[in-house]
Amino acid sequence: MGPWVLLRWAGCCSRLLPPAPRLCPARGGGVRWQRGLFAGSPSTASHWSKVVSEAEKIVGYPTSFMSLRCLLSDELSNIAMQVRKLVGTKHPLLNTARGLVYDSRNNLQMRGLVVLLISKAAGPSNTAEISFQHDMVSGIYSSQRSLAEITELIHTAFLVHRGIVNIGELKSCDGLLKDMQFGNKIAVLSGDFLLASACTSLAQLQNTKVVELISSAIGDLVQGIYYDHSNLAEENCLTRDIGIAAWEEQIFLSQSALLAKSCQAAMELAKHDAEIQEMAFQYGKHMSLSHKLHSDLQPFTKEKSSDSVAFSLNSAPVVLHQEFLGREAWIEQIRKAQSKGNLMDFTQLQDAIKAGKGVTSAIDLCHYHGNRALEALECFPPSEARSALENMVYAVTRFS
Amino acid sequence: MAVGWGRCCSSRAGPALFGFFRSLLGAAGPPPLSGLRAGRAAAGAEMSRLGLRMHYFLGRSSVFSFPKIRIIFWRLHHTTTPRTCSCSKTVSDERYKDPFKLGRKDLKNLYEDIKKELLVSAAELREMCEYYFDGKGKAFRPMIVVLMARACNNHYNNSGEVQPGQRSVAIIAEMIHTASLVHDDIIDDADSRRGKMTVNQIWGERKAVLAGDFILSAASVALARIGNTAIISVLTQVIEDLVRGEFLQLGSKENENERFAHYLEKTFKKTASLIANSCKAVSILGCPDPKVHEIAYQYGKNVGIAFQLIDDVLDFTSCADKLGKPAAADLKLGLATGPVLFACQQFPEMNALIMRRFTLPGDVERARQYVLQSDGVQQTTYLAQRYCHQAMHEISKLRPSPERDALIQLTEIVLTRDK
Repeated sequence: MGPWVLLRWAGCCSRLLPPAPRLCPARGGGVRWQRGLFAGSPSTASHWSKVVSEAEKIVGYPTSFMSLRCLLSDELSNIAMQVRKLVGTKHPLLNTARGLVYDSRNNLQMRGLVVLLISKAAGPSNTAEISFQHDMVSGIYSSQRSLAEITELIHTAFLVHRGIVNIGELKSCDGLLKDMQFGNKIAVLSGDFLLASACTSLAQLQNTKVVELISSAIGDLVQGIYYDHSNLAEENCLTRDIGIAAWEEQIFLSQSALLAKSCQAAMELAKHDAEIQEMAFQYGKHMSLSHKLHSDLQPFTKEKSSDSVAFSLNSAPVVLHQEFLGREAWIEQIRKAQSKGNLMDFTQLQDAIKAGKGVTSAIDLCHYHGNRALEALECFPPSEARSALENMVYAVTRFS
Repeated sequence: MAVGWGRCCSSRAGPALFGFFRSLLGAAGPPPLSGLRAGRAAAGAEMSRLGLRMHYFLGRSSVFSFPKIRIIFWRLHHTTTPRTCSCSKTVSDERYKDPFKLGRKDLKNLYEDIKKELLVSAAELREMCEYYFDGKGKAFRPMIVVLMARACNNHYNNSGEVQPGQRSVAIIAEMIHTASLVHDDIIDDADSRRGKMTVNQIWGERKAVLAGDFILSAASVALARIGNTAIISVLTQVIEDLVRGEFLQLGSKENENERFAHYLEKTFKKTASLIANSCKAVSILGCPDPKVHEIAYQYGKNVGIAFQLIDDVLDFTSCADKLGKPAAADLKLGLATGPVLFACQQFPEMNALIMRRFTLPGDVERARQYVLQSDGVQQTTYLAQRYCHQAMHEISKLRPSPERDALIQLTEIVLTRDK
């Protein structure tokens, strides 16, 4: 089963509903839709999509991990029915569902695709028995395909759990209290359902090391999201005083750990040795870090675009900018941007950041991680799959 | 078979039960125990294809499976051992006054060890995760698990010592249970549990959901470290059942008989599956005989269902102080539990209340009064007794040991607890 499940689920509400209802401006991170790692901006997205669709051909079939078992499950129909009741409310779960439908071009199932590609790039190990190799389709073991689905399920489960609302902090503009409580209920349940499905598939892989790796990745992801939430809570007043090293640690937890550990687990499933496993881990880690840097940089590298103004004060260029500037001067800049009432003048702040060294050093950092990802790939023999993995790195380190 | 059991019920619980159970069980009767598990697995695979109807059949056969003949057999069998014969009789033997004593030494530092699994650098997240592991819980599940571990080890090779893997199962069972409590409290928007505020009340729902997820992931890591794929599969089943049980709780049935089967299936998935499968897990680690695994599973399943039935009774008979949560909480959540479903047999006017999930003003209080006027509480308690008898019958198949006898004793404690 896989994100198809979610598509069906999301489809149920999006068909009925119409253009996104406007959410209240994020206050304290309450109602705020967070985008997935791979959501690029329109201009760079086209290049990215091309790389992705080329890569999908290599793994045998497009990474739509459809599973009949799950599509027909009672629980799923139940979720779909319940989500429909949320239509017309302001619960973020609706946006999560909608996002899965409309943004599917660029951000859906990317992790699964990387897991499949790296599985294919590594191929069968020398130690694997011949009978074991019969299990391969397009150079990928069925256990590795399961793993790719599991990775997607976990990612999606947390997209859903991220969108839970603090009932105690609701303001009147957030809609009826009852709607929000109901939305939370469905969000907790559907996230749990996806996680439980992932756990079940994971157990079926019959490999304790893989179970341990992926379970620890779930733990990492939770900690990463927890940091995200803590950062958001302070976003409107001041950013936390974290350096780029701490930033990288947090992003590793919230964005990279799942991909890195899934890549490693894919090697373990094919019985590759510790060294290959480590390289796969490194690829997943550095590739997703450079991707995150790339998307953080979009508001600062594009020529001129009206929709690129909003950016997170916790994004890499801003964190680096603050490091160069010093805490005091940075607080001063924020105060200036806030001078007109309490609203932040993001355009003014953006110009200030663009004038500093934060942007260029974020680009350097993006290239650094891209190079580390490419180095990790050198342990695999040249192949179509390896080239596709390289192209993904090229796509996220390009800034023009 | 069905008729036989129906008669057996009616002799003590009145005619209301008679037709009710008979229609519930249908003509097919429960499958034999040994075929049950295989049937369950096959049914699971088929389930999605056949949809809800299959689901139902599954629920009915797996949860509501009282082999009546065995109960009668149990009576004959146990007339020779009067000590364990009657559930309601208090046991005079000093040695068995506290079955928990035997398990307690294995549970020393239980909560410290759980906290060691919850490795988080963020102080607040750790505090949330550790919140319910304060040593004030009953640790009912770990207790059953270690006693079962010793009983099985003893049955197999006379060595009672709990293996490290078996102790891990006890820890994991408590962790999975706690993670589900944290999520349940968000789903139910609960504000108190075990006499303190819930995690979502203190830290908010956004963070609470993460705390539950983290505890679950830590349990999953600990599970993998036991290093046995069979154990992983058995305990992963629990996680799936917990979610499915929560979904069952979301829906309701119009038909009365279906409603009862639905209730029991939900009870199995939300409460008994964890106990049944953790018991099974420690038996797998302790003894290679599949018959013993089945005994452990059946014991856990029956005790688990009885435990929850009594929990549902206490929601009507106990006060908020003792429960650590508000009384009549289930009704307020719109849930019709055992006592309500039995009361509805006597007062059909309750049907309307059940259908609208007690949402109108005064519904909760009216339903409560109906239940207290009916014999719903007694009948639910009686049903719990039947499950406890069955649990006793199962565990009696193991070779005698102090731990086995403590497990027998425990079934009585399940029935007589008042909080």
